[in-house]
This record gives sequence, C-alpha cells and structure tokens, in this order.
Amino acid sequence: MTRTFKGEPSFVLFPLGKKRFALPAGVVTELARPDRLRSFPHTTRMLAGVLLRRGQIVPVCDIAPVLVGEDAAPRKFFLIANRYFGNTREWTAIPVSGECELASTELLPVTGKLPRYVIGLLSLADEIVQVLDLGLLHAAEATA
Amino acid sequence: MRIVRAETRKRVHHGEPMILFAVGGTTFAIAAAEVDEIRDLSGLEPLHPAHLGPKFAKFKHTLQRDGRTYFVVDANTHFRVLPTRHTRLLVLRGAPAAVLVDAIDRMTEIASLRPLPKAFAGEERDWYRGLALLKEDVVPVVAPGAFLSKAEGIVLKAALEKQAAKGAVAG
Repeated sequence: MTRTFKGEPSFVLFPLGKKRFALPAGVVTELARPDRLRSFPHTTRMLAGVLLRRGQIVPVCDIAPVLVGEDAAPRKFFLIANRYFGNTREWTAIPVSGECELASTELLPVTGKLPRYVIGLLSLADEIVQVLDLGLLHAAEATA
Repeated sequence: MRIVRAETRKRVHHGEPMILFAVGGTTFAIAAAEVDEIRDLSGLEPLHPAHLGPKFAKFKHTLQRDGRTYFVVDANTHFRVLPTRHTRLLVLRGAPAAVLVDAIDRMTEIASLRPLPKAFAGEERDWYRGLALLKEDVVPVVAPGAFLSKAEGIVLKAALEKQAAKGAVAG
C-alpha cells in the first residue's frame, strides 16, 4: 500500500453514480480519457471489452452494476489499475463516472456486514468510502 | 583467397495470413491455413442433435463433401450471440467441421498475435488463440479446434450412424 511522507496510506477515490469508492493508490496507474471500447463475444462476468492503451490491450471491467446497480450513471473515464494473477500483473480499466481524487487517510477496519472485497473504510469529511480489493471483487462475482 | 557466397536471402514473412469474417456484428480472424474452402450454403442437411444435450445445440447441419461428413457449427450459438443471417460456410481443414458465418470480410496478414488478457476467464479462453491488432481494431483470432472437439466429433458420428440405422430399419 502506498504511504505518504506522513505515514498514512494513500487511496484513489473514484465516483460511480452518486457514490464514491476507493482503491489503494499503489494499484492505480492512471486515469484515462474516454476511449473507444472494443468488444467481442466472451462469457466472463463484468468484462465489457478491451481498450488500446499505449499499444497494450487492456481489459475493461465494469464494476458499477455490482457496486451501485444497473442504473449507474454513464461512465466517462477509465481508471487503470493493476490486477494480479499469481505473479503476473495485468492492467484493468475500470469505467468511472467522473474525476478521481487522491486521499491520504487512515484505513479503518470493516464494520458491519460488507462483502469480502471491501477491505476497509475511509472516514472523510461527509462520507464513508469503501476501499475495494479488485481481485476479491472478481473472485466474488465469478462465484456469484 | 576464399570467396564466400553471401548468406542466402531468407524469405521475409510479414505475418500469418488470416481470413477475416463477421458473425453477429463482430469481426473475427481465422488462420487461412486452417480453412479448406469458403462456400455458399448449398448442400446443407439438417441435423437434430437435441437429445445429445445443450452442448451440441450449435451443430445444426451436416455437409457431405468428397465422401466425407462435415458437422456444421452455427457460429452465433458457438459464441453465444444472437442469431444473424448466415451467407457463407467456412470448411475447416484439420477436422470434419464447417462454420456458418454472416460474411467474409477480406484476407490480411497479422504480424503478431497478442495473448488473451488473463482477465478473460470464461469459455473464450478456448474459443480464441489470442487477439490481433488491425490498425485501431482488436480482432479475436479463433481457435479452430474449439468448433468441434474430438470427443464431440465421435459422439456426433455415432449419433448420425444410429440415426441412419434407424432409418434403414424403418425403411
């Protein structure tokens, strides 16, 4: 997990509709502008297609229906994050509804009944933000 | 003094020849070496393998060609996409299989085949050899072996023989 000079971990906050979620900053590589989504037949849940990014083919994983439902606002940008498959690292593009924000704050433990892919909570000025583990989110959806 | 012949000029391979075809609005590629013939839809005989289970639903016809029976795969059912109008049949080289497709786009050469990202974890891992970049497009390159596995071929052949024997007895 990326930490600031103050020792607090950093997170990238991203909007999905009216809610915001977060990923540890260490797994995020960039926020990309809208790009053409290329799709082809497949049977993997949440995958919407692929993007071309700097000569790389990047799978696009739309997590909004799982997190906020089917009526999520249109996604405008792609948050590009690393996903690990054993020792192999692969980029994943996550469509998000708007601009992202970097926050450095303490990661609070999960309280109450939340899915396993929520690895902690961020207590911000006027909201509680769930921090996600992409690998666990995919695993949960694959077995759903 | 010794005069050495210059190194033999090697044939330059720009890439693998591919046939681009369309199914349900998607363009796919298949290695040209894997295709024996592209033909129209004449000569197709209906096949009813419903009793064999949903896995065999994609086999809807047979084709008799050069004394051999080919099992014809509906590409839309294979790739789980909505039905569209087929106009061409790709007869495969390495197996007694042919594939119904919407249209043939063109032939091209693909310089490099990218592996399918690991995020793709479903049946597509069997369907595709990888992904090809064609200018700004990403084209899935199909794995011909996925259309008809050896096991499927054996089951279909047995079912066809049984059907023929029944017909002979009834006749």
